[in-house]
Amino acid sequence: MSDDRHGSDGSETSGESPTTWHVPEDDLRAYVQGELAAPRLWSADTHLAACARCRQTLASVSDPVALDAGWERLDAELDAPRPGPVEWLLVRLGVADHTARLLTASPALRRSWLGSIGALLVMTVVAADAVRAGATPILFLALAPLLPLAGVAVSYGPGIDPTYEMAVVSPLHGFRLLMIRTVAVLTVCLGLNGLATLALPAYGLHALAWLLPALALTATGLALTSRLGPVLAPSLVAGGWVGLLAVARATTEPDATLAPFTAAGQGVSGAVAVLAAVLLYLARDRFDASRLPFTDFTDRNAA
Amino acid sequence: MIPTVSASGLSLRFGGTLALDDVSLRLGEGVTGLLGPNGAGKTTLLRVLATAVPADRGSFTVLGHDPGTTAGRLDVRRALGYLPQTPGFHQDFSAFEFVDYVAILKELTDRTARHREVRRVLEAVGLSDVRGKRIKRLSGGMRQRVALAAALVGDPGFLVLDEPTVGLDPEQRMRFRELIAQAGEGRTVLLSTHQTEDVAMLCHRVIVMDAGRIRFEGTPAELTERAAGRVWSSTERDPSARAGWRTGTGAFRNVGDPPEGADLLEPTLEDGYLLTLDARTAEVAA
Repeated sequence: MSDDRHGSDGSETSGESPTTWHVPEDDLRAYVQGELAAPRLWSADTHLAACARCRQTLASVSDPVALDAGWERLDAELDAPRPGPVEWLLVRLGVADHTARLLTASPALRRSWLGSIGALLVMTVVAADAVRAGATPILFLALAPLLPLAGVAVSYGPGIDPTYEMAVVSPLHGFRLLMIRTVAVLTVCLGLNGLATLALPAYGLHALAWLLPALALTATGLALTSRLGPVLAPSLVAGGWVGLLAVARATTEPDATLAPFTAAGQGVSGAVAVLAAVLLYLARDRFDASRLPFTDFTDRNAA
Repeated sequence: MIPTVSASGLSLRFGGTLALDDVSLRLGEGVTGLLGPNGAGKTTLLRVLATAVPADRGSFTVLGHDPGTTAGRLDVRRALGYLPQTPGFHQDFSAFEFVDYVAILKELTDRTARHREVRRVLEAVGLSDVRGKRIKRLSGGMRQRVALAAALVGDPGFLVLDEPTVGLDPEQRMRFRELIAQAGEGRTVLLSTHQTEDVAMLCHRVIVMDAGRIRFEGTPAELTERAAGRVWSSTERDPSARAGWRTGTGAFRNVGDPPEGADLLEPTLEDGYLLTLDARTAEVAA
């Protein structure tokens, strides 16, 4: 917001808190017409509540009908919750405020879940650094792709998302909600995995070999969710990944790189990720209309 | 009655259980009560009508929209307010934030208009004063009202309420009944309940379900009338009665086929309900 000022004295005369900043007149005009967008709208709301001078200016730039509507909006906005830091940042970055709210409501972005992921990654990185065997940090590379898969799995579905039953009968398309949450979880999990990778500089680029498997597992899990449900699908995919690594371990020389983390293995992961994403897109309507496997509505408030 | 919701031949099987068995019904404006014992299929019927679960067979329309098509389903959902049996909450949200979240799910994307609507529904359920309070700090009755507020967002024409008075104390239940009665003005409300008092106090029509089938559809007075001449008083429990219990006066209230010369009592809705279920039990036994 621009640094527009009303006067040079820099203080208020109404007994309210002194302030040197005031809402620009253009913003006030947009405000009364209901055209001021967040986050400028939030700044104007907060400021108008405390600044008699800007309220006077608001009256002078408004016709009476528009002014009444403006007061009503202000009244409503003063009741509204202030967005949290993540939501505020998302809106600053240009994300629509309603999408930002849906993003930050993802169960997997709760502090408890993020704390668990962070602790797990720290332990894995410490272990990988302490047990230097071979060219790749196997334990870290095995675990890191599972985190976004698990994060997405706990973001959608009955018994996991407390508002699932309300969400499934809402007009918002189930696939869109799933994608919004997937983007949120992937961004956070890949970010945390990336930080963990930076903590393993001795392995160089080998430590980044989790990325394509992570995308492949997540996309496959989602694609299968439309048919197998939000518990069985990611469980099978996670089990398949662990089984694949066990087979690779058993058939590979102790110091050699496991197949999924070789260049060829990475290529396969990339191809699987793309194929699964296409299948997921083709199955998008199943998230909106299918009976099985989404019928297990359970008592989520028992806990 | 001008039907706003019509269903024909709805059937749904879960595993080996026929949860809905050829259910047909018509609802009009006002509150319709859905009575039935546990496992009768009430919640399943509500979920089907709320488009949470599709039926295996049969069809229905809500306010002229057919949920059998993608566009029709979307229209039904836009016209729907749904309070599930166990509404889930993001416990860290405040009441305002939660209803705001549901409003976003209901496609209210304009922030100012949405917040105005959230304020309206919170005021309608009497929660304006605690709108900023975390849901985990609210009482059970208040949480139910938050869920009702969420269901009322967007002024839906069809309101589906699944046992909203369960677990509420008498005062909260009375408050909730007032809210449901208000909600039933000018819209279609389907209220599932175990409480015959809910139906007697709130509903202009009642449906009784058992074992996935509709056993009665009519007015509360018609359901009560089913027990006319079939409720009597005695000093000891009458072994010929289908049901009998000692009342506060010490006398027994018996329901069934009275013996000759029995001291007949005024029937209640509950008597009619018990006899309706009992008729079904007799059918199965036969």
